[in-house]
Amino acid sequence: MKAIRVAEDEHGRRTQYEEIELGKVLGEMEWVVTDEMIDKQCELDADYHVWYRLQSPWGERVAPPQISYRPPRWLLSRTYNVRGLFTKWEMENLRPIKPNVTLHIVARIVDKYVRKEREFIVYEAEAKDPEGNVIFRTRRTHVLDVVERTAERQGKGVDSGIKAERI
Amino acid sequence: MPILTTDSKVGHELPQVACQYKLEHFKRGDETTIHTNVEAAKREGLAAPVATGPQVAALIFRQLRDSFGIGWIEGGRCDLTFRRPVSVTDFCVAKGVVSGRAESSDGIRLTCDVWIENQAGDKVILGTASGLVSGATSSG
Repeated sequence: MKAIRVAEDEHGRRTQYEEIELGKVLGEMEWVVTDEMIDKQCELDADYHVWYRLQSPWGERVAPPQISYRPPRWLLSRTYNVRGLFTKWEMENLRPIKPNVTLHIVARIVDKYVRKEREFIVYEAEAKDPEGNVIFRTRRTHVLDVVERTAERQGKGVDSGIKAERI
Repeated sequence: MPILTTDSKVGHELPQVACQYKLEHFKRGDETTIHTNVEAAKREGLAAPVATGPQVAALIFRQLRDSFGIGWIEGGRCDLTFRRPVSVTDFCVAKGVVSGRAESSDGIRLTCDVWIENQAGDKVILGTASGLVSGATSSG
């Protein structure tokens, strides 16, 4: 069967490689991690460490650092309709992510390239607390399609990269 | 107490963390996704539903939290590559070994090679990670 790349999904036309703009700010958001979000992250990862559930060396409970995965992805999805797959994840945990603290997150596109006939984009994000302290930094690489770029785009996908913004 | 300390040597093996995945692990409400639905996966060119990368990588993060303790939450770094899709029914185990040591303004940082193997022994995620360590107060 001939390979094809999905052309659209319920959120509209899929973003094409040529439309990804280097340096583009994907947006900014204020994000407050709640106790419920931390509970959900622990459940997803089946990791119920006491620091994430009760108390920690920083006093109250803190969030698993990987809770930082979703907000930068949400910012990508607010700008571009990309499903694809996550291929690289750089993460730097500078300070603990505490509940009920407002984080200001900014993300931008920093690179794009083609390798083995597949199209990749790279974006970075940084989160700061209200005092201006950097809490985390991340750099992600995402392949736009599993299928090679030589495949024709047609048809509608069942899934979409644009999801409800929740943990 | 963290497993790694300033006394830990290059070659020290990190604790292994494993999980037998099943499709239910990757369901998010009533969403139909490439992680839970055969048709959704096939439309995107995948043979079958694939695990959510961050959920599988979480095995490494748990390993690093246990190894570095505070030095992972505050000062931890990682650089992971998702080499191939993980099936939603795979058995995965996170492994790692201390590969380097450096002094920085923050203290002593240990670097580790980390990876996740599936039941066939394929390295599906691999990369490096590092964290800050403090004085020897535990085995290691």
